[in-house]
Amino acid sequence: MEANQPLTTPDKTSDKAMSRRSFLRGSVAFSGMAALAASLSPLRELKDFSSTEQFLQKYYKELTPDDMTKVLARITNDVERQYGVRPHVRDLRPMDGVEFVYCLNLTRCIGCRKCVHACVAENNQSRNPEIQYIRVLKLPHGSLDLEKAEHHYDTKQVPEKGFFYMPVQCQQCKNPPCVKVCPVNATWQEKDGITVIDYDWCIGCRYCEAACPYWARRFNFAKPEIPKERLNPEMAYLGNRPRKQGVMEKCHFCIQRTRAGKYPACLEVCPVGARKFGNILDPNSEVSYILREKRVFIQLKEEMGTSPRFFYYFDK
Amino acid sequence: MDPFKPELPKPPSQRWAFVLAGVGCTFLVLAVLFVGNLWGRTPVKAAIPLVDVKFLATTPWRQSYGDLVAAKEDLSDFDCYGCHEKNKPPPIRYDANQKIIIPKEHSDIVMGHGSHDRNNLCYNCHNEANLLTLQVRDGRELKFNESPALCGSCHGPTYRDWEAGAHGRTSGFWDTKAGPTKRLACVSCHNPHAPDIPTREPAPGPHSLHDAAHAEGAAPAKPSH
Repeated sequence: MEANQPLTTPDKTSDKAMSRRSFLRGSVAFSGMAALAASLSPLRELKDFSSTEQFLQKYYKELTPDDMTKVLARITNDVERQYGVRPHVRDLRPMDGVEFVYCLNLTRCIGCRKCVHACVAENNQSRNPEIQYIRVLKLPHGSLDLEKAEHHYDTKQVPEKGFFYMPVQCQQCKNPPCVKVCPVNATWQEKDGITVIDYDWCIGCRYCEAACPYWARRFNFAKPEIPKERLNPEMAYLGNRPRKQGVMEKCHFCIQRTRAGKYPACLEVCPVGARKFGNILDPNSEVSYILREKRVFIQLKEEMGTSPRFFYYFDK
Repeated sequence: MDPFKPELPKPPSQRWAFVLAGVGCTFLVLAVLFVGNLWGRTPVKAAIPLVDVKFLATTPWRQSYGDLVAAKEDLSDFDCYGCHEKNKPPPIRYDANQKIIIPKEHSDIVMGHGSHDRNNLCYNCHNEANLLTLQVRDGRELKFNESPALCGSCHGPTYRDWEAGAHGRTSGFWDTKAGPTKRLACVSCHNPHAPDIPTREPAPGPHSLHDAAHAEGAAPAKPSH
């Protein structure tokens, strides 16, 4: 620009008011902002995005009874909003003088997989994608070589001659490797022997899944889908309340049942009575009788040093 | 800028402006695509068929006479003396191979108790003097709903396990302070005439419901694990 050019007052009504450059700058800036807003649009789909309340929730073990009442109310409302069913959510604590043990009679198990589906129904597991806590392994007689195990067996009738069946689920180890690797203490062992997960504290790193030698832990890769007519409304905080995407879950011996004195769902449904559950600290319980009287016990992968509370035994 | 100035080659800044305008337009198009959700399609999830509720049933396999009494069912079929005469025990006939001949009135009974069906004398358990009761070898007379003691007279170790809760189904409460533990009698699972547990259909295996829903006529995908 020349120095002696007279200064002109900008005429705001003429076309010259906006130079080509400023127009382009403006439009680029506008579309940039629009694109930014649009790129955030997937957030609109996060309808069940954790509420501030959940985000600010304290660690389970630090919750006061008042906090817990609020948390349970929040969960109740969340579930009702999402599924249209008002659940009964409780925070059940371990009982004094109780340590749970599971015994499974390999002579009796016929591999009917009813326990698998009873567990899914009781514990509100995702139907799509499919999450199941129990795997029933089919093994040839005379061997406990898990390399020979088959869990996709699809025969018309069970049991098959020459095979036995071994359901595997969380072994509730006395020395649980999954608890050791959790970087945020979202999973821990309670005094009644149940290893629990706080689904609100889990960060979904899946270290515990890798650490578990029994493949007992499952990860919610996608948002769990549960048909509302199959939702079990009897829930516990550390038990079967619906999980969200990105957290771990596993068998918890049906906390919502067993801490209320009932048997777990897999035991109730077993048609042959192969599953036995009870308090090992009570000398008159079935499990005490079995561990005392029965001939053979197997703790699966005993050599790992995990010391499971899940015992496999044979009748004869 | 003076509009009356002769056209000069565009300065580099103006070329940049065109590039920026192009980028801006691309952004706008992308924005429209994103907001309208026009790009790509959300994967349609196939409805997963739910497991048949018969696999969730906790009822025992069979109904024993005791269950029928408890359920107040029609028991006229069990009135033995509707057909049989009192004080006249019905005769038992065997064929040449010592297999019992089941009379056609009792054709629903399948005999298969003991290896080689050796326990095939009706009066080993039924009381010939009173068909409405059972008899134990030691002379005790038992009602039909007291049958476990009769089974236990031969199957001692199993009876001992059953009494301790180690054999057979248990349901209800493990903690008897919270509620009752429910036990089943032998005959709720075992048919006394053929006590071997029959084979049955297994519930669907891992991923099979899922694969069936996704295959849509195609061969089911090989499960990854």
